[in-house]
Amino acid sequence: MKIKSILTAAASAVLAIGALQAAPAHAQAMPHSTEPPFSHEVFTGAVLFEKLEYGWGLDGPNIGRWDGQAWYGGDVNRVWLKTEGETARNGRVESAEIQLLYSRLIGYYWDLQAGVRYDIRPRPDRFYGVIGLQGLAPGMFEVDLQGFVSERGDLSARAEVSYDAYITQRLVLQPNIEANFALQKVPELHVGSGINDIEAGLRLRYEFTREVSPYIGVSYERKLGDTARYARNDGEDVGGWTFMTGIRLFF
Amino acid sequence: MTNDKLSRRRALGVGVAALAFPAASGALAQPAVGRAMPREFNLTLSHVTANITGRRRPAMAINGQIPGPVLRFREGEEVVINVINRLREHTSIHWHGLILPSGQDGVPGISDGFQGIDAGGTHQYRFPLVQAGTYWYHSHSGVQEQSGIYGSIVIDPATPEPFGYDRDYIVQLSDWTDETPSHVIANLKRDPGYYNYNKRTLASLVGELRRAPDGAARSAIVSDRVMWGDMRMDPTDIEDVGGYTYLVNGHTPAQNFTALFRPGETVRLRFINSGAMTHFDVRVPGLEMTVVQAHGNNVRPVTVDEFRIAPAETFDVLVRPRDGRQYQVLAESMGRQGFAQFSLATREGLPALPLPPHRPRPVLTMGDMGMNYGPSGLDRGTPMPEVDAPGHVAPMDMGGMDHSAMQMPAGGSQGMQGQSVGGMNHGNMTGMGHSSMSGMNQPAMPGMDHSSMRGMAPSSMAGMNHGNMPGMNHGSTGAGAMGGMDHGAMAMPDPLVNDVGAPPGARVLSYRNLRAAKPLYPVREPTRIIEIRLTGNMERYFWSINGNSFSQAQPIQLHLGERARFRFVNETMMSHPMHLHGMWMIPQVGNGAENPLLHTVNIKPGSTLDVDIEADAPGGWAFHCHMLYHMETGMMRKVSVVSARQAASAR
Amino acid sequence: MRLVTSIAAVALAVVAVAAQTRPAAADSAYQAFGTRGRAQDVRRTIDIVMRDNSYQPQRIQVRAGETVRFRVRNAGELLHEFNIGTAAMHQQHQREMQAMFDSGMMSATSKDAMAGMDHSRMPGMNHGAMGHGGMNHGAMRHDDPNAVLVDPGKTEEMVFKFTKAISLEFACNIPGHYESGMVGNVTFSR
Repeated sequence: MKIKSILTAAASAVLAIGALQAAPAHAQAMPHSTEPPFSHEVFTGAVLFEKLEYGWGLDGPNIGRWDGQAWYGGDVNRVWLKTEGETARNGRVESAEIQLLYSRLIGYYWDLQAGVRYDIRPRPDRFYGVIGLQGLAPGMFEVDLQGFVSERGDLSARAEVSYDAYITQRLVLQPNIEANFALQKVPELHVGSGINDIEAGLRLRYEFTREVSPYIGVSYERKLGDTARYARNDGEDVGGWTFMTGIRLFF
Repeated sequence: MTNDKLSRRRALGVGVAALAFPAASGALAQPAVGRAMPREFNLTLSHVTANITGRRRPAMAINGQIPGPVLRFREGEEVVINVINRLREHTSIHWHGLILPSGQDGVPGISDGFQGIDAGGTHQYRFPLVQAGTYWYHSHSGVQEQSGIYGSIVIDPATPEPFGYDRDYIVQLSDWTDETPSHVIANLKRDPGYYNYNKRTLASLVGELRRAPDGAARSAIVSDRVMWGDMRMDPTDIEDVGGYTYLVNGHTPAQNFTALFRPGETVRLRFINSGAMTHFDVRVPGLEMTVVQAHGNNVRPVTVDEFRIAPAETFDVLVRPRDGRQYQVLAESMGRQGFAQFSLATREGLPALPLPPHRPRPVLTMGDMGMNYGPSGLDRGTPMPEVDAPGHVAPMDMGGMDHSAMQMPAGGSQGMQGQSVGGMNHGNMTGMGHSSMSGMNQPAMPGMDHSSMRGMAPSSMAGMNHGNMPGMNHGSTGAGAMGGMDHGAMAMPDPLVNDVGAPPGARVLSYRNLRAAKPLYPVREPTRIIEIRLTGNMERYFWSINGNSFSQAQPIQLHLGERARFRFVNETMMSHPMHLHGMWMIPQVGNGAENPLLHTVNIKPGSTLDVDIEADAPGGWAFHCHMLYHMETGMMRKVSVVSARQAASAR
Repeated sequence: MRLVTSIAAVALAVVAVAAQTRPAAADSAYQAFGTRGRAQDVRRTIDIVMRDNSYQPQRIQVRAGETVRFRVRNAGELLHEFNIGTAAMHQQHQREMQAMFDSGMMSATSKDAMAGMDHSRMPGMNHGAMGHGGMNHGAMRHDDPNAVLVDPGKTEEMVFKFTKAISLEFACNIPGHYESGMVGNVTFSR
């Protein structure tokens, strides 16, 4: 089915980055050269699926969700591939996007990123230019701020903040909050202007290994403003609670 | 190492397969004098499978053994060493601590005319030996050293050493990981805390709060956590890599290498730290040790209970177990992850004595941050953009001191309000190397006791004008390096004292205790001071010198015949054992003409140390941190020693 | 003032003479395991070479009741001692030697550093603790049968009779030498 093929495409694109790290097993840094010239620059990569989960809607539909990132490069310049998306009640992919970015270290903890984003769903599919800032803020908050300009000239933005609280050496509580904004309303995508939606989540994971950590969690999602109005008109929920289980992969 | 030895070990059920032990004859070296030794050696490097922890893992070995064979030379002779590379990759062998021509030093791309040894190729090293003592050798390509390409060197002296002993043993400490070394780097690059299973957690916070004596202590604990979180740093991050098994001459702690002795004998232990990433704290419960050589050079004997040995260092000590008891020599890793250990006993085959519990894990304090609170710029701590020209010279003029360049954390030190504490310019302060501070106004500084200011280059503390330093509490005397100058949480660490957690009263070796028995160079003023800032990005796990990784950096040029002073400023939270090839490093520890001659100088977090170098060896020399993964991710430079004529024509 | 100084000098001299004629208590510790040997009882000579800072050989074997002549040659450039005693005796002796070095009574290269020293200006010297059979102002001499100080390049002899088999070491107690391994073992055979 279409969903499967899209999901497969997105997953394999991300995993292609992982493949760049050479089989077998997990990550291997491309050894800096033992051949002349001995530059000693190390090229390496990583794949992180922060969310790979199935959620039972407590007052809404069940959803599947994924959020993955992969990067490859040296210390300062890297290439990033990001993907995120949601499936809906009948397995239909509600939203799916993929980003390809060039990233440059501009501070001890911050990367400046720029590239393109392609939304496979919802239809009509759309391309966006992306500029973003990703890094670690004081207090150990992981921050990802992105601004988008669509091929139609519509401006939007996204902000995501999360925090890893270690309860024990392996049990980690991760609260996070994500908000989407749009400057102009985009009726064909059922997006209003202003704050579109907010999602707040709390995930508790157990790191059996750093690479594989199953988790459970709850999240609350809410559409706001005109976006909410569009949703109601479609007969969809404006928001609600979800209880989910998932697995976090980092390799 | 013979086949029958192998089968006997298997019979003992020790579970060691093919290659995990040293040449036993090498380990039991006799202090023979006058024995003619072979002049030519063959070293064959190959891929092997090692079984050290019970898992068979790929490794690399020299002549089929890990560590490689002991090379026993005689001072004054010329040696020929053929290295046969049967690895599938480029390799090289570097002779650590040996004074020899640059072309024989074995660093691909840096040693004159040496590009390494191709896979399948052979290379002949040939050089005269101009020194005696304990040294070692290892691969200088990639991370092969971690995979097993290392061995020891003993050079018998031409004239008798100024000490006596009945027998000697090589004690080569190392760290073994079952992981592929390049995987280790990859793990660190995507998650710097990957190996840290001692993080601060909610559970540990609850425990600490419960143990706290009162409300003030409790709020101090909480604000300390908040402060480190604000700085985005982890004070429990002491050792980058975990999962190591610590070996002595290739033996695991369970295998318990045994150094035999007869009661009443004086035993010489040649400690070599061939660990890739591990500092060891060495002690022998029940025995004191007399250090007679440091880095191969004779020092005035100094008796200690414990010493810290950084990667690449060597110390020769004498112990005298008078009774026939079994003694356990303990080398505890600095991060308290494990012990390397072996027995001193009167017979073979004894099991190891029970290990004591680990000492408390060290936790970084504000003092370890030196003068830098939180990183700025791509590489930690330096507020100035990269100013690294070849031979960059630190400013000699200290003038007034202005704190405005110094960022202070919230709730950090007492007595220093706000950003600007007028008059103290830390941009030029380079971590308080005091040797060139002029204009000190003594009367304006009550309570500052200079006689107790350890950790400062003692040459000239004249002229520090503290008159215009409002808000700085000079009244109270505090413990630590600067008696009389109370920075509160900002106590400056003594760059030479090693806090190994030994019981009070224990004698712990520091560089200050090392006095060269025969200084090689007369004391003279350096021609210039070159600032060597040790920098790095812990988040991304890359390290650098003066903010430049090796691939981006210019060589440091020294003039043949000059005495250059390297002013090390450690702007990171980790210790870095800095190693210069081909020339001796003379740390300025206050012993004048007797300052020790070392090949590797350990620079503690947040500290500054002046090290003089007599640049008497022409050519290209590697200069790098000897923490293998720091070097591999950029903490290396080429030092070019050129004659004045060459330098002039190059312009 | 001069009167007081002269009285002090006389007092010191008297004490010095008295000390010389009576062995100090610490010295007789060797009597627990041996005594001065008589030349006619010597059956064996053991040659000891002293270097900076080690002995050769590093272990000797004797029998209880045996009288041995030790021929001790200093092949080094520093002053060395050959002293037979228990580990505890050596520790004590090292403290005394350190004091003598600190006060300038001994030098690193010669035991005769004391010639011509004016004792009237050396207050506070505790002669009781000197423990070397009294103070010899002309030259620093070890009069005990169990110890001998040898100048660089010289050879000295010592005849000692071992009366009891206990754990003994021969050592040089000059500061820094013992820790450098200038110590050996005396083992007893039946």
